[in-house]
Amino acid sequence: MQLTQLTHGQQGVVESITSSESSAKRLADIGFVRGARLQMVRPGDPCIVRIDETCVGLGFGHQKHIYVGGS
Amino acid sequence: MRTLPRAATGTASATIALIGNPNTGKTTLFNRLTGFNQRVGNYPGVTVERTTGKLKCSPSDRPITIIDLPGTYSLSAGSADEAVVLDALSGRIRNTPTPDAICCVVDAKNLRRNLFLVTQLIELGLPVIVALNMTDLAQAAGIEIDENELAKALGVPVVPVVATRAIGVEELCKALTESTEGDTPPAPVVFPEEVNVHIDRLVTRITRSSDERSIAPPPRAIIAQALLTPGGFHEHRLLLEYGDELAVSLATSRHQLSKIGFRVAEIEADARYAWIGGALARCQTSSKLRDISLTEKADRVLTHPVSGLVILILIMGAVFQSVYAWTAPLIDIIDAAFGELGVYAAGLLPAGALQSLITDGVISGVGAVLVFLPQILVLFLFIAILEDCGYMARAAFLLDRFMRFLGLNGKSFIPLLSSFACAIPGIMAARTIENTRDRLLTVVIAPLMSCSARLPVYMLLIAIFVPNTQLLWGITNTQTIMLLCMYFVGIFTALAVAFVLKRTLLKGESQPFLMEMPTYKWPSPKTVFHRVADRGKQFCIQAGTIIFAMTIVIWALGYYPRPASIAASYEQQRTTLEAEISEGFASLAAAASSDLGILEDSLATDIETLSARFAEFNQQFTDTIEGEGFEEGSEAYVAAVSAYQQRVDELTGSSPLGEYALAHYHLSTSTSAKLNEVDRREAGDYLRQSFLGRIGHFIEPAVSPLGWDWRIGTAAIASFPAREVVIGALGTIFNLGGEQDEGSSTLRSTIVRAETPDGEPLFNLAVALSIMVFFALCCQCGATLATIKRETNTWRWPVFAFVYMTGLAYVMALVTYQVAIRVI
Repeated sequence: MQLTQLTHGQQGVVESITSSESSAKRLADIGFVRGARLQMVRPGDPCIVRIDETCVGLGFGHQKHIYVGGS
Repeated sequence: MRTLPRAATGTASATIALIGNPNTGKTTLFNRLTGFNQRVGNYPGVTVERTTGKLKCSPSDRPITIIDLPGTYSLSAGSADEAVVLDALSGRIRNTPTPDAICCVVDAKNLRRNLFLVTQLIELGLPVIVALNMTDLAQAAGIEIDENELAKALGVPVVPVVATRAIGVEELCKALTESTEGDTPPAPVVFPEEVNVHIDRLVTRITRSSDERSIAPPPRAIIAQALLTPGGFHEHRLLLEYGDELAVSLATSRHQLSKIGFRVAEIEADARYAWIGGALARCQTSSKLRDISLTEKADRVLTHPVSGLVILILIMGAVFQSVYAWTAPLIDIIDAAFGELGVYAAGLLPAGALQSLITDGVISGVGAVLVFLPQILVLFLFIAILEDCGYMARAAFLLDRFMRFLGLNGKSFIPLLSSFACAIPGIMAARTIENTRDRLLTVVIAPLMSCSARLPVYMLLIAIFVPNTQLLWGITNTQTIMLLCMYFVGIFTALAVAFVLKRTLLKGESQPFLMEMPTYKWPSPKTVFHRVADRGKQFCIQAGTIIFAMTIVIWALGYYPRPASIAASYEQQRTTLEAEISEGFASLAAAASSDLGILEDSLATDIETLSARFAEFNQQFTDTIEGEGFEEGSEAYVAAVSAYQQRVDELTGSSPLGEYALAHYHLSTSTSAKLNEVDRREAGDYLRQSFLGRIGHFIEPAVSPLGWDWRIGTAAIASFPAREVVIGALGTIFNLGGEQDEGSSTLRSTIVRAETPDGEPLFNLAVALSIMVFFALCCQCGATLATIKRETNTWRWPVFAFVYMTGLAYVMALVTYQVAIRVI
């Protein structure tokens, strides 16, 4: 499912990222790669997602390209 | 693998680059390693800040310099800041030596992401030392790291530190000193064999082509970035250097890689994170139980769509309130100091061009600018604190939706906020916006925010033309509301311009929001101090150079030419007046002599002495009135007047010469007033035919629809290099010698008294509004335009900003005036 569908506190593992190459690169730099475990801290647009110990603010334009699976 | 050319070991000095992800405590660690021994500057050609410092414990015979590089997540170079990092590391920046070693600061809580950069750095072929920072916070979050295992996996030394509490700093110093003399360990192989084959092939090709042209080939890591980041910065630059031949090689390699199942853009991230995953499995254990951190608790309120916004507005309100409330006394002190300095300098120098240049030009011009230093410092203090504690990212997060509606980006908020102090740091802060269009848009609307230099214009005109009526039971008054309105004129115009530009000239998809929300921390006083001091220094340098120079230019334009005909005609008027006076005095003495029958000689001096007493009485009277601040018509004022009158009458009656002395006194005051009037008219004539005055008359038809006369128009033109110059320019132009500032009662009274040729008052509320609106929207700031040029690397955008802002300012001032004269 898309990252946008995660609810508050729900966790997931990144399955794929369908962004453009430059966006994907930027997301990868900050930790969004296949296999990364994340948790939705504040859903919305933009949302806040936690990866490891980092919270990242993420606009809808990025969220809709990140597909996650259940943990 | 090719290693970079390095300074041979044993040379007299060494350089270490300090690098790391944003929010890893890099700056704090830098301060720990260098103490106050730092220098801040810019990289040549680009305005990315470069801070250097001397390593505290470096051996005396071999000083080690540390360069603090901008925070970056990777070397892929998405923004201007990131490009500088890789250039600095590979010695591709003029006057910046290739570092002898790299110290990478790593956040122990976020090893996975931080090691991404570390693995990229190790491939550069320089010695790397990992400073494992925030180990205390990692432990608190239940993360245990075995640094020896980590060092073994990476093949480089790892030193655990807690920068905020100075733990491990000595060990790090030692490791850094040793590193500059040690060998470079081989980098771990993170890319799959198939990818390495292609990178090597490209390296061979580029090296051959470089050798043919005898230039230094780029390091392997950069070539790898060019291959693996299609459309990226490094590819773009290598193509410029090596041309089409390379483009073909890149395309071939990418095609072959994708044929065997790789997605080129994902290779690097996949390979590195896979390698990191393996390394972390050996050296990091984290307990499943995780406490909810203070940051998360705070963010439940601070990033909440309702409570977060309310708090944001309250914080901004408090910041602006303090910027204006706290700085008033300081501003008065600086103002007074420059006034004194002007008077002192005038006393030292003989009257003439030099005195005029120093007092009217330099001291009043530079003083007019330095007066804003306190406000700029206080605003920067708040911005530095908000930034350092981690709140700015939340503000950007909260405002992202709103900003996006206007075509901006959450990240635009910080540059726009800074622009209220001064557009220059604001424009520079826009560097963090990766998307070029979003960045440009932010840069061109930032100067519309009412910066502190507009304040004196508002203050002067509002104080004169807006009645001060208390509103809302004394909480506020009409003048404050008017000031606020001027701020909103700028803000709303900026938002409207953004809205329009985003749908026309800068059309295109905005980059979605992507920003780390750092852990909240107490702002470090040292970091905050450095930021504020730095800004203050740059501001003073600016005032001392550009504004200084422009002031001289304006002064010269207003002072020259000085035709002898004017001097001659006024000299003659003066001689005539002086002759009249001595004649008047002589006839007084003659009348007294014939009336009273006394010898003339002593009589004239006696009359003069008595007349001087009358002057003394008058001086005492005016001192009382001004000193006590008696208002005309008030009871105390009337009492003072009658007391003065009584002393005059007594003195008149005390001697038979009294009547004559009083007449002598009146004659001398009226003639000195006449002489002053002649001086003023002379100054006015000089100005009218000066270069500035001629320009003013030339533009008068253009500014008269705004309700301005040629003098206001000239002042507006004179303030092109810096809008704050307008105050001094108005003073000069109204024959007052250019020393008037916004607190000066003389400029105020001159403005009130100034008349049009028809004898109507020149200034009224409509004219004041039109001037204020013009200054709110115009781009009268050479330094801003120069900064836009530097930041965008073309003259197109500063020219655009100037044209659209001046056009907008003119039209809006026109509308304001034409509406105002019909309504008021």
